[in-house]
Amino acid sequence: MKRDSHRWKWILVSPALLVLILAASGPLLIVAVYSFLSPGNMGGVAWDFSTDAWFRVFFKRDIFEPENVTLNADHLAVFQRTIWLSLQTTVICAALGFPTAWFIATRPANRRMIWLFLITVPFWTNLLIRTFAIQEMIRNTGTLNTALLWLGVIGEPIEMMYTDFAVLLGMSYVFLPLMVLPLYAAMDKLDFRLVEAGYDLYASRFQVLRHVILPLVKPGFIAGSILVFIPSIGAYVTPRVLGGGRSMMMGNLIGLQFGQGRNWPLGSALAMVLLVIVVVALVFYLRITTRETGGRDGQS
Amino acid sequence: MPDGDGQSGNEIEIEAVGKVFGQGDTAFHALSGIDLTIRTGEFFTLLGPSGCGKTTLLRVIAGFEHPTSGRLRIKGQDVVGQAPNQRLVNTVFQNYALFPHMTVAQNIGFGLKMLGRPRAEIAATTDEMMHLVKMEAMAARKPSELSGGQQQRVALARALAPRPRVLLLDEPLSALDLKLRKEMQTELKRLQVETGITFVFVTHDQEEALTMSDRLAVMNQGRILQLGSPHEIYHAPTERFVADFIGETNFLTLNVIAVQGRGADLALPGGRTIAARVAEGLTPAVGTTVSAVIRPEQARIVPQGTGELSATVEGAVFFGTDTHIHLRLSDGQPFTVRRQNNDDLADPAKGETVGLSLTPGALQVLRG
Repeated sequence: MKRDSHRWKWILVSPALLVLILAASGPLLIVAVYSFLSPGNMGGVAWDFSTDAWFRVFFKRDIFEPENVTLNADHLAVFQRTIWLSLQTTVICAALGFPTAWFIATRPANRRMIWLFLITVPFWTNLLIRTFAIQEMIRNTGTLNTALLWLGVIGEPIEMMYTDFAVLLGMSYVFLPLMVLPLYAAMDKLDFRLVEAGYDLYASRFQVLRHVILPLVKPGFIAGSILVFIPSIGAYVTPRVLGGGRSMMMGNLIGLQFGQGRNWPLGSALAMVLLVIVVVALVFYLRITTRETGGRDGQS
Repeated sequence: MPDGDGQSGNEIEIEAVGKVFGQGDTAFHALSGIDLTIRTGEFFTLLGPSGCGKTTLLRVIAGFEHPTSGRLRIKGQDVVGQAPNQRLVNTVFQNYALFPHMTVAQNIGFGLKMLGRPRAEIAATTDEMMHLVKMEAMAARKPSELSGGQQQRVALARALAPRPRVLLLDEPLSALDLKLRKEMQTELKRLQVETGITFVFVTHDQEEALTMSDRLAVMNQGRILQLGSPHEIYHAPTERFVADFIGETNFLTLNVIAVQGRGADLALPGGRTIAARVAEGLTPAVGTTVSAVIRPEQARIVPQGTGELSATVEGAVFFGTDTHIHLRLSDGQPFTVRRQNNDDLADPAKGETVGLSLTPGALQVLRG
């Protein structure tokens, strides 16, 4: 009986395993292999082993003097912008998501579901459409500038399109629900009597927030930050539409190699770099956020 | 020890406090017309069944709830509108509400830290408190690594560490098993005597209330029914609810023959007359029927024909230290006698007719 149920467990879990292997590990392996091949003439790859793609991720060879090797500043600028914009997006989502989640968690139980439901409404519309809607709002002749001009607040349109600001706005908007939901889940579990205990022991509102609420909803912040940071790092549509060529992120750079650039190996190598950035960031992040609570077995 | 100003004064004065939750038809009167004075340094208990308003009253004193009407003073100072963190009052919560992300020592030191006390003082007081509740060895543990009784001690130490004027305890022992509860009762009493802090203790356990309190208030449906020492509450209940809620009681319906001062003469079944005490504020009319109570241990079984009453034995239940003998009086009213098992007495046989002797002055006439 027991062994039977064990076998059943494997049968039940196998579709999921199959999907994971075929849809996640398989393509990843292909990309890893491609990054060590040569570019084909019409895109695709030629089956010649080469580390050239990896070299070109970081370095640039002078066309006229091939011995003259410099760091590829364009690529590094994109890496840097990608990490910086993703970090900023995460911080903005956390700052906006906390009060939102708190608001929902403190509503009467029967009304919380309505608010949560409203949080998910943006997901109903295609991301591309929503991104174009943001473009419509912030472009030079868009809603915001027109209104400000009409009100006489500004003399000429504020240039917002194709800036880091535009990308940041778009990504924060898109990823905010991914921060709100795990934060809400953490707050929902919060024992509000602990908040009372904090007040009772002479803590001010701010001190209760800092010493009681924030440490207890930390798991929500960790989950939310991961859920926002990872898709931000790999964002494609938002920086493409709102950032254009001037505020490019890694997703766009990779896309470029598989499209116009016709350099699949370079695109694959860049994709592997992206993967490494995500893994390193995750490990580093989990290290610093779990350090305090991690030493449980070491004490007493 | 609290500051020397007025050891014998009033710590908490509650005047006509009411608390209404909701509005209109759905309004719930959690507290109505509460008048109460709690003296400095006493162990005061609010006793009542769940939903009687005792916890709401405690929360009003703590500042978590604001009264809808009435006044509340702590040490002469009006505190209505003051937030909990402004009141020199600390609470031991029913579920302890220990901060799960802090160690025992951090939990205990939390109040002092929030008050901005110097590090050295926090450390010294925390050590002292851990010693007081015998938790020194557990300083670095997290609450999840402690047993219920240990968590209880930490909650106590945490609330005592800032040296509040008043310690509020919301059914702190209800989650403990019987043996531990008895231990903690003694412990609480010792801490209260040692620290001299005024304790306001909320419980639904009448035995706990009787053994620990200097004075107690019995509450029901948002009102205080009776206020007094455990002795007064037990021996001279004024209302049926109080008599019924605390201990075991024999209720007798009897006729009033004469009234004199604070006493009345009542007619017993079988024709004899007995003098009874009358609850304060009550003047029974001669010829009316009143409800009177007497505790089971205030009656003795005597040979048939002697004593004030005659009764038939219906059965006996053995409780170890004592035996409850269930009887029926000659007019059909039930009556229970508690007999201490000092000697190896034989239980009276079922159906046997016996006499009953009542302790003089033990019978009390109730209001209503």
